[in-house]
Amino acid sequence: MRVNNTLLSTALVGVSLLGITATPALAQERVPAINLITTTESYDPIRYEAAFMVAERWRELGLDVTVSPTEFSTALERFYDQQDFDAVILGWSGRTDRLDPQFFLNTLDSRQAGLGGNNPGGYENAEYDDLFDQQSMEFNNESRQQIVQQMQDMYKSDIPVVVLFHRDEVVAYNQDAFEGFQVMAGEGLYSEWGPMEAVPLGDRQTLRIGGPQEPDNLNPLDSTSVWGWKWMRLYYDRLVRLSADVEPLPWAAESVTALDETTIEVVLRDGMTFHDGEPVTAADVAFTFNYYLGQSYNYFNSYLAVLDNAEQVDDRTVRFHLSQPSASFGSITLSQLPILPKHLWEGIEDAGALAPSDIPMVGSGPFKFERFDRGEYMSISKFDQHWYADNIAVDGVEFIIYADMEGVYTGLQTGEIDMTAWRMEPGQIGLAEQQSHLNVVSVPDFGYFHMTYNLRRAPFDDRAARRALTRAIDRNRMVDVLLEGRGEVGSSVIAPVNAFWHESFVERFDFDMEAAREELRAAGYSWNSDGHLMR
Amino acid sequence: MSSARRSYMMRRVLHGAMALFIIATLLFFLFRLGLPDPTAALITEGLSQAEREMVRARFGLDKPLWEQYVIYLVNIVQGDFGFSFHYRAPVADIIWERLGNTMVLMIPAIILAYGVGVPLGAWLSWRRGSRTDTVGVFIGLMFRSAPMFWTGMIAILFFGIFLGWSPTSGMRTLPYEASGFLDKIFTLDFLAHLILPALIVALYYLGSPLLIMRNTMLEVYGEDFIEMARAKGLPERKILYNHAARNALLPVVTQLAVTIGLAAGGQVVVEVVFSWPGLGREILNAVRTSDFPLAQASFLVMAAFVITLNLLVDLLYTMLDPRVSFK
Repeated sequence: MRVNNTLLSTALVGVSLLGITATPALAQERVPAINLITTTESYDPIRYEAAFMVAERWRELGLDVTVSPTEFSTALERFYDQQDFDAVILGWSGRTDRLDPQFFLNTLDSRQAGLGGNNPGGYENAEYDDLFDQQSMEFNNESRQQIVQQMQDMYKSDIPVVVLFHRDEVVAYNQDAFEGFQVMAGEGLYSEWGPMEAVPLGDRQTLRIGGPQEPDNLNPLDSTSVWGWKWMRLYYDRLVRLSADVEPLPWAAESVTALDETTIEVVLRDGMTFHDGEPVTAADVAFTFNYYLGQSYNYFNSYLAVLDNAEQVDDRTVRFHLSQPSASFGSITLSQLPILPKHLWEGIEDAGALAPSDIPMVGSGPFKFERFDRGEYMSISKFDQHWYADNIAVDGVEFIIYADMEGVYTGLQTGEIDMTAWRMEPGQIGLAEQQSHLNVVSVPDFGYFHMTYNLRRAPFDDRAARRALTRAIDRNRMVDVLLEGRGEVGSSVIAPVNAFWHESFVERFDFDMEAAREELRAAGYSWNSDGHLMR
Repeated sequence: MSSARRSYMMRRVLHGAMALFIIATLLFFLFRLGLPDPTAALITEGLSQAEREMVRARFGLDKPLWEQYVIYLVNIVQGDFGFSFHYRAPVADIIWERLGNTMVLMIPAIILAYGVGVPLGAWLSWRRGSRTDTVGVFIGLMFRSAPMFWTGMIAILFFGIFLGWSPTSGMRTLPYEASGFLDKIFTLDFLAHLILPALIVALYYLGSPLLIMRNTMLEVYGEDFIEMARAKGLPERKILYNHAARNALLPVVTQLAVTIGLAAGGQVVVEVVFSWPGLGREILNAVRTSDFPLAQASFLVMAAFVITLNLLVDLLYTMLDPRVSFK
């Protein structure tokens, strides 16, 4: 198709060079064909089907659309690394640290538009970028909220990316064995609070979690997977923990104070110890942050970008010196980095080269590390000397690693595990609801599935075309049919469940084929006698 | 004879080594050309381009391809399979552990399949044309054709969930601390976990020895020495098992060697359905995460297995059948 268009435009150029002027209506050419990249059906049937739903409607508008189901990593590569796409359906997972608006807003920042950046669609808006910088330095939450909401309004009418939907995470637990779970947006049952809140009802005091994902490794300086950190955060303490409502609570910190815009002082709680009995001091905290800074690469690089260094003031006081004001440092950075024992790590030069058996598994968290048998099982036990230990009812946590969700569900059914770490397959939800011992819980997500347009390519280089094509996407049907109603149509990159930051008065682009045609017509598009869209 | 055997051995070992070298080379380029960049998945974790470059450098992927290839070959010759990208652990440790887990599942299954399949095939050939023969062949073919994820899931559903007789996943009841590999597998608990998956694999494998044995036997029955044995008035049972069966074993032995060789890779489907922590599941993960060192080494180990067993079989032939010589 593209060849034809090139030929056609060459012909047109030739014609105009010869001095023959065509009437404007004749000069219109067909809108280029669209290749829509999505995941394979086996990787994710939902995104796969969604692509066909989109394609069907776009074809009705007279576009030539091909759906290309692509192996997941290859799709990521084409999208991020090569930016070789017209439109892509992919997603961002909701991770606690992404509840701060910083991360998702950054995916539309023009400074992320280069190859490999987080804004592969190439949206460029200088005003948006300015506001991004402003909000990231704004300490006052109300003022920051205003900027964040203004940014959502601003990008939305340009519609460089369509948030298709937020999928509820449907998880289940054995209500005969445990109670007291509080679910957390984006985290489900397997949040850092889950094991601390669970109350055993039966004989077994150990909470058993089952899931198909396992940590890549348990090296706090080397793990790059969310599954590594979901587990490690249970036995490494943090200065701040985010509550189930995502409020930053001082945890190992007694207080967090901003001395000035770029200096943050943390006073540690008194009397904390590591699992090996050594006290936790400000020296350990300062060491940890500086140690992370000194490693060539780590998972927290982006959180640490604003940190110049950490300085120990006295036994319980640490000062963080920032290179520029950062709104998210106190809430996100301090709630993500673990506290490592200085006495065990300071002799390790290259933490990335540690063999698994040489990694010091000593933290100061409410649980202590026991065992990790790759592909089979992990366990931690309650750390009785922890200041929060009296509030914890279980005596430990075990995580059983299955090969797939089928195995997890069987384990849940037979009572081998007490809760699922991750969402169940659509087919299992109905079955689980029929089981009297299972409680099925739906948790809204703030991660999202998106369709990103490549703004460098026609027709998506045209704002009107983007707006029209977006109106031709029936997202309600996606939620009803593909998610069986367990989800919400997307309206902004900041999800509705993230209520404080979400802007609810953005333009919604509800499904309306007639409005889509009208918008195209108004922008000068037309249809030829075969019904093809012409520009 | 002995010097002929030695030179034959030398030649075969050399061929095997050459085959391994070619396979190692193919694997190296195949994975690098066919699989996406191992750091691609890190984007979903929100890594910037600069950070990904650091990870690539740490994996040695920033070096030119030929340099990576030379390092890879030199390491293999020294018996070093490298460091897994994903697990950040020595590949050899991962593979040996997983290979052990796979073998303790596959070997009993294969013994069961051949232990039952061979005599059963011989017996069916003796009863050829009868209803027993038809039913036997049908059952063998049925299990050979039924997908193992299906038979596996039915078995889990019936014996695991409905009757509750058998564990449904893994190779031991957790939590369980084993001091070593032998400690892990010499327990009743392990046996309980082994039965279902091993049975499913054995049923799947049963068809080949059964049919091969049966058909080869039918050919052997036509031979003169069988006629001779009958003429001597030997009992039918003795003719069947002592004379005919021994001469029909050769193709079965070949098949057995191939089966054991490929068993190193495990049965991915069974390992997934039963959450068995074997090499097959690991290979799947390695390909999924573009863990080049782990994927390369796993396939290389499988190739080495197949080559070694083929070599052993050829040697075994000379013992089973004196007509085979070292020329």
